[in-house]
Amino acid sequence: MSALTVSRLEWRRLLVRPLAWVLAALTLAWLAWNFTLLLGSFLASQIQRAAAPDGPGFTDLVAVPLLGQLAQLAFLVVPLLTMSVIAGDRRNGTLPLLFAAGVPASRIVLGKYLAILGWLLLWLLLTLAMPLTLAHATHLDWGKLAAATLGVTLMLAALAALGVACSSFASHPAIAAAAALILALALWSVNLGAQMAGIHGGAINALAMSTHVQPLLRGLVSSADVLWFVLLIALSLALATRRLATDKERG
Amino acid sequence: MTTITPTTPAPVLQLEHVSRRRASRPAVQDLSLALPRGQVLGLLGVNGAGKSTTLSMIAGALRPDSGGIKLNGEDFLERPELARTRIGWLPERAPLWPELTVTEHLDAHGRLRGLRGVALHQARTNIIERLELQPLARRLAGVLSQGQRQRLGLACALLHKPALLVLDEPANALDPVQVAALRKLVREQAAAGTTVILSTHLLGEVTAVCDRVAILHEGMLRHDGVVRSDDLDALEKTFFEIAMKHTPAQAA
Repeated sequence: MSALTVSRLEWRRLLVRPLAWVLAALTLAWLAWNFTLLLGSFLASQIQRAAAPDGPGFTDLVAVPLLGQLAQLAFLVVPLLTMSVIAGDRRNGTLPLLFAAGVPASRIVLGKYLAILGWLLLWLLLTLAMPLTLAHATHLDWGKLAAATLGVTLMLAALAALGVACSSFASHPAIAAAAALILALALWSVNLGAQMAGIHGGAINALAMSTHVQPLLRGLVSSADVLWFVLLIALSLALATRRLATDKERG
Repeated sequence: MTTITPTTPAPVLQLEHVSRRRASRPAVQDLSLALPRGQVLGLLGVNGAGKSTTLSMIAGALRPDSGGIKLNGEDFLERPELARTRIGWLPERAPLWPELTVTEHLDAHGRLRGLRGVALHQARTNIIERLELQPLARRLAGVLSQGQRQRLGLACALLHKPALLVLDEPANALDPVQVAALRKLVREQAAAGTTVILSTHLLGEVTAVCDRVAILHEGMLRHDGVVRSDDLDALEKTFFEIAMKHTPAQAA
């Protein structure tokens, strides 16, 4: 119950903060513009594609690339959104109020995480609505779109958890945002060197987020990839909880 | 034949040998206190005496290193959720979420303290009226003056009608009229059966509203006794004796 109360409070704070609205407006406008470009390019190549009926369709050329662009934007949007969830409370001195209301650290973290996740899922839904408006007029590969949506959802959830963890450790929201951005980029490209050296397996590739997102964007769902995200989310939230519990102990 | 023995009600709050270290030094040492229902305790002490640490522990925001705290006889450290409904806390410099309005603050605090639906609406309406917050109801907390923030913090602390009210320097930034209103409010709460702990630097505040005074110094309870409204001189004498006696270097 208290996690939902915290979530509701955090959701309310998100809704009245101009940053969330500005981010939503700018990114959705950018995605809408890109959607029209992708759609224009898709329509222009229709004659060529008619010769190869098994070639890439609307899902491969419009819907999934659009989700890919949302995933790229998420590297910037999520840290900005999560930066003050806990660091802001720490600066306002409002964390002790939550502790004094008997809310355990784990529920504070979970509540705040769920609020951010709610915003991100809404953002994803609004983005998905763009290709879905054309579902009646084109042939959508629902399986591939579902897999790509799952991949982006997991990625957003992981980035949000990472952002909440950074916010729990930082004394200032800007530091939290910078840390979340750097960690997310590092996690995405940790295998870049290995890739350039032609190594496509091993622990370093398994560690990279890109290794686990790209198959999902191609429509390949693997439990190992899903598990990787679940572990990252659990680890990040556990670290944030641990940090908050320490905060309460220290006073 | 059965004999009925009258039982003494458990104190609303009982501190048993509570100690807490902060920043590698003892902030509170071996503090024991018991407060009955409806009593107003004034907590005095110089800066760094351990008042805020004591109040944070009582409010449930900080855990003692050792000792026990009981609320109505129930172990508060074993059941920290007791703080949710039974304690109202106004920390020093009322912490608020700047992006929420006064009404949203009251709603958020009410929900955190277990109020829902009609009960929450009723409690919010009552406290807004009681603390004359109507003109500020839709204003963002971030733009409130310090005195208005303090009133909102007080409203949040009182919203769920706690059995124990913990006020850390509540008269900070209030004008004389508001201070008088605060004193009246505290007395009303006590008359209604709420136990109040009031930390302050103002000795006159203690003699005006408190039934009892505890003086902390270097984290230890140095004085605990009743106080009367005409006792200001005696209280001043006691307070300065304690402050001078135990900190000769500062007094010099």
